[in-house]
Amino acid sequence: MFELPVTTIEGPELFVLEFGDIVNYFTVYTAVLFTFALLFTILAIISRPERQVDFAFGGDAFYTKDITPGQFRFQRFMALACGMATLGAMMSGDVFNFTLFCSMVGITNIGIVAAYRNRHVLNAAFQYGIVAMIATVPLFGSAAIILATTGTLSMWELFGPAIAVPLVAKIFLVLGVMGEGMAPFYVAKAEITRAPGAPYVLMIHVSSLLLFLRVVEIVISM
Amino acid sequence: MFDYLIFGTFVGLLFHGIHRKVIARIQGRPGPPIWQEILHTLKFSFKQTWIPKTASQTLFVWVVLVAIGIWSAALIVLVTRGSLLLLFGIYLLHKIVEHGMGLSSGSPYGKFGAIRSVMSAASELPLFATVGAIYLFTGSMMLTDILAWQTEHGPLLVFAFPAAVALYVVILSKMHYSPFAIIESKEIVSGNMTEHFGVWRAGLEVAFGLKTYVLLYAFVLLFLGPLPFLLVLALMLLLLLSLSFICAFSPMLSPYDTVTVQSLTMGIVAVYIVIVGVLFA
Repeated sequence: MFELPVTTIEGPELFVLEFGDIVNYFTVYTAVLFTFALLFTILAIISRPERQVDFAFGGDAFYTKDITPGQFRFQRFMALACGMATLGAMMSGDVFNFTLFCSMVGITNIGIVAAYRNRHVLNAAFQYGIVAMIATVPLFGSAAIILATTGTLSMWELFGPAIAVPLVAKIFLVLGVMGEGMAPFYVAKAEITRAPGAPYVLMIHVSSLLLFLRVVEIVISM
Repeated sequence: MFDYLIFGTFVGLLFHGIHRKVIARIQGRPGPPIWQEILHTLKFSFKQTWIPKTASQTLFVWVVLVAIGIWSAALIVLVTRGSLLLLFGIYLLHKIVEHGMGLSSGSPYGKFGAIRSVMSAASELPLFATVGAIYLFTGSMMLTDILAWQTEHGPLLVFAFPAAVALYVVILSKMHYSPFAIIESKEIVSGNMTEHFGVWRAGLEVAFGLKTYVLLYAFVLLFLGPLPFLLVLALMLLLLLSLSFICAFSPMLSPYDTVTVQSLTMGIVAVYIVIVGVLFA
């Protein structure tokens, strides 16, 4: 019943999950991305955080930060929510749902960073927040332009040759995802690694890279 | 498929050994024997292994398995002539491995390596440019179609030379001792790999051997087309030697210079893609 119009980019679909007029799907490509997101979400659930070792400058001493599991409860929850949003974005067959999942990834990323009480890390979270908020404009703007110009948000329709998606909508979509995923924005990327909690911090990078990979597929296919 | 993986690992590790030997000879040193990296991997496999007390233990171990998994998958994509986009995706996922490896140990050296890995995300951008340029010419992301296009029209190296240069920069940035290898430079001990030793290091050596094999193999397939396998191996070796020359003569760049050079490469190729896109339109 459902056949992807373009199979020369990510191969034929493997599995289709229909929710009324919203039809999610897996191709080999999205299945690999989904599996990767799932793996790191599980790792975030089952891993205990590391205890960072820091140098005491001006001497030979080093110290290990003492971290209790209680400190990481919120960070772990946010990492889990981030993983779920990423999983949704990987299998979404609808542009609006994809943008919703992207914005949720942005929100949870801020949560992962902001959970740690350190001045530098909180500054990073603040900067993350600004970028993510600004990025929602092009992100949802792209969905609005696509709907207004083509009359549909379903990727099954948009990937077909009959519908031409405006270039500006594609550019907005990529910009929006870049802002939510924050992959290329260096405003705070290095600062975040001051925060302990490797399995959770890693989810930020997992989600941003996977969103970027998915949006490349969507933009090329449209 | 298992035989492909064994062969790819063996050749990749041998290439690492040749790489070290060539760099050493250019720099006037005798250098290790070319099979040294294979011996290293075997040696690490039987050395005492433990996990640092400060590490996030599950992540520390799993990141090694993920590294082997993604590069095995990449080789399978190449051998089965799957989607180039998938290969591109797997390459990007390697960034997660680099980052997770550094952060999971709790070591400050690993952490610095991980931070540098995040900063050098620009090294992935030229690959995106390469993929875009190839798609503009061939109209497909499937390797079978790309190879068929080259059989009909000739090597993409001629038609999309800037894209080939971009991929060359990508491969160079992932080579040991490269001017862009800031995540494992010696001022931070071994960077993100510092705390992975014993069988974990052996696993990473296997993954990195596969990575080198896959990247060189992909370059030959993507830009020179379908060739007899022995010729492909010879061309991969030639490509490796050229990379070794650059690594031998170039100092390690600072992290910000690395990002600048890689971003410039991406910028130049992006302009090229726009021009090609306009011409095709």
